[in-house]
Amino acid sequence: MIWWTWRQFRTQAVVAAVLLAVLATALVVFGLHLRQEYRAAAADCSGPAGCVAQLAQFQDSYRNPLYLLDALLILAPALVGMFWGAPLVARELETGTHRLVWNQSITRQRWLTVKLALSGLAAMAVVGLSSVLLTWAASPYDAVAGDRFTALLFGARNIAPVGYALFTMVLGTVFGLLVRRTVPAMALTFVLVVAVQVLVPTAIRPHLAPPVVAAYPVTADTVRNLTFLGSEADIGGLRVPDAWVVSHSKLLGADGRQVDQARYDRCLGGGFDGVADCLGALDLHVEVTYQPGHRYWTFQWRESGLYLAAALLLAGLGRWVVRRRIG
Amino acid sequence: MPQHHSAPALHAEGLTKRYGRRPALVDCHLEIPPGRIIGLVGPNGAGKSTLLQLACGLITPTSGSLRVLGAPPAADATHLARVSFVAQDMPVYANLTVADHLRMGGRLNPGWDADLADRRVTRLGLDPRQRAGRLSGGQRAQLALTIAAAKRPELLMFDEPAAALDPLARSGFLRDLTELVTELGASAIFSSHLLADVERVCDHLIVLGGGRVQLAGDVRALLATHHRLVPAQDGPERLPTGVEPVWSWHTDGHRRTVVRAPGPLPDGPWRVEPVPLEELVLSYLSRAAAGPTGSGPADSGPAGSGPTGSGPAATAWEVRR
Repeated sequence: MIWWTWRQFRTQAVVAAVLLAVLATALVVFGLHLRQEYRAAAADCSGPAGCVAQLAQFQDSYRNPLYLLDALLILAPALVGMFWGAPLVARELETGTHRLVWNQSITRQRWLTVKLALSGLAAMAVVGLSSVLLTWAASPYDAVAGDRFTALLFGARNIAPVGYALFTMVLGTVFGLLVRRTVPAMALTFVLVVAVQVLVPTAIRPHLAPPVVAAYPVTADTVRNLTFLGSEADIGGLRVPDAWVVSHSKLLGADGRQVDQARYDRCLGGGFDGVADCLGALDLHVEVTYQPGHRYWTFQWRESGLYLAAALLLAGLGRWVVRRRIG
Repeated sequence: MPQHHSAPALHAEGLTKRYGRRPALVDCHLEIPPGRIIGLVGPNGAGKSTLLQLACGLITPTSGSLRVLGAPPAADATHLARVSFVAQDMPVYANLTVADHLRMGGRLNPGWDADLADRRVTRLGLDPRQRAGRLSGGQRAQLALTIAAAKRPELLMFDEPAAALDPLARSGFLRDLTELVTELGASAIFSSHLLADVERVCDHLIVLGGGRVQLAGDVRALLATHHRLVPAQDGPERLPTGVEPVWSWHTDGHRRTVVRAPGPLPDGPWRVEPVPLEELVLSYLSRAAAGPTGSGPADSGPAGSGPTGSGPAATAWEVRR
C-alpha cells in the first residue's frame, strides 16, 4: 500500500519537489543577501545615535519582500489541502477506481490511513522545510523587528506551519470523501482553510494560555509609534516590547479613568511631534491584555498540537465514513 | 481451508436494500453452493448490481443478512483476498500503465499469482507500457479480469462484464472467464441481461425481477422441472394436478403454459414440450412484471402479446436470438 500510495502520488510529489527546490534556492539566496545587509547596517554603530537609522533602513528595505514570503508560507497549507488533499480520494470516487482498489486485499480503513499518513508526512515535510528556511532567512530581520508573535508572522515561522499542513491535507481529503467531486472539494477546502486561518489567530490563539493584564505607561515615544489616535482617546497599533498585545483599553489617566477629554483634545491640536510630547507629559497609561514573549514556544507547540488533534479527529471521521457510508 | 469451500458462496436471509424510500432489493433469500458459475439475470433495475455490490461490501444492507463464503462481505483483509469483484464500468486508472496495474495487484494482494497475470497479459497481447486509459473496451475488460483472477480468489463477481463489449470481444471474454474459473477452482457470479451469455457459461441461475428473487437454482434441475404444456387440439384448457403454472400466453390460437412440476407429468389432453432456458426465465419475469405479488399467473398477463411463437415477452428485456 505504501508503494501504491507513492505510485499514485508521484507526479504531485515531483511537482512539489520542483517548487520546493525553487523556493529553497530563493530563500537561501535571499537569506544570505539579508545577512550581508544586516552586517553592513550593524557594523557602523559607533556614532552617537548607535545604528538605529541604519537598522531602520535595513528593515524598510526587507519589509515588503518578507511580507510576500510570509503570505506565501501562510498560503502553502491551503494549497496543500486543495491540490493534494481534496483530489486524493475524490478523484477515485469520481472515476470509480475506488471500486477497483477497494476490492484488493486491503481494507478501506487501512487504505485511507496509509494514504493520509504518507500524504500528510509529505505535506508536513514540504511546508516544514519551507518554514525552516524562511525562519532562518528572516531571523536577523525578526530579531531587529521583535514582532515574531504577531498574527501573520506567528503562522509563518518555526513549527506552526507543519501543524497547518497536516490539518489542511486531512481536511481536504475528508471533504473529498464527503463531497465525492474533486473541484467542489477543492473550493470547499480553500474556503474553510482561509476561514480557519482567520478564526484561529483572532479567536482561539489568544486563549491558548491565560493572557496577562497590566498597566502600560504611554510615553511620547509610545505615541509616536502608534498607527491611530482617535478623537475619543482610542488608539491603534500599540506595541509592547517582547509581547503580543491581544487587546488594550483607551488612554487612561493616572486615576485609572479615561483621559480627560478636554486635555486630550488640547494635545491633539498641535503638530504630530507636539501631540506625542503633549500626551507623553500627561502621565497616561493603558490597560494591556497581552501574551509575554517568553510564551512564544509554548504557543507554537500548543497551536501545532491543536491542529494535530483536529487532523486526527478528521482522519477518524474519514475512516468512519469510508467504512460506513460509501458505496 | 476446507471449511471455506463448504460454506455457501452466497447466503442471504431477508436481504433488503433501499435507496431512500426506493427499494432496490426486497427480502431476498438465497443459498448458492460453492464451485458454480452463477448467472444473475433480470431486466435493468431488477437489483442485480445492488446484490453484487452488497456481496462485495461496497454497500451495506438496509436489513437482513448476507454472508459471502461464510463471512460478512469485505469483513477483513483475509476475506477481501478471497473475493474478487469487477464493477460494471470496469474501472482502471487511466493514467497508469498495464504494468502499474499488475504491480498494484502484486502489492495489495498477498496471494497474487504474478505468473498467471504475466501469462495472460502476454497471451492477450497487451503492451505492459500502455496506459490503461487508452485500452479498448475489450482489453480493459481483460485487464480487469486478469487483476481479479490473479488474486486467486475463491469467488469472482462481475457486474455486467460483457455489456459494453462487441460480440467477438464478449465471446473471448466469456471463454477466458470460464477457463480461469476452472483453473482457479473458484466460484463465479456474473450478472447479465444477455440470456445467451448466461446460457453459454452458467450452471446456476438467479433470476431477479422487481428487486425480488424470482427463481434460483441449478440450470439442469430447473430445466428438468419445468415444461411447456400445449393443450391437445380441441381439448379442454386445463392443467394436470400438482403442477404450478408460471406463465401462459396464446399463439396460433393455442394457449401455452410454462409449468413447474417436481415429478414427471401424467398423460392427458396436452402435449408436453421442453422449455428453453430463455423462455423459462422470461416466464418468471413476465409473471413478476404482471403483478407485484408474483401470483395469479394464468390469466393475468397480456395473452398473445408476444410475436407468434415467440413465447412470453418482458418489457425492458433484451433478447438475443
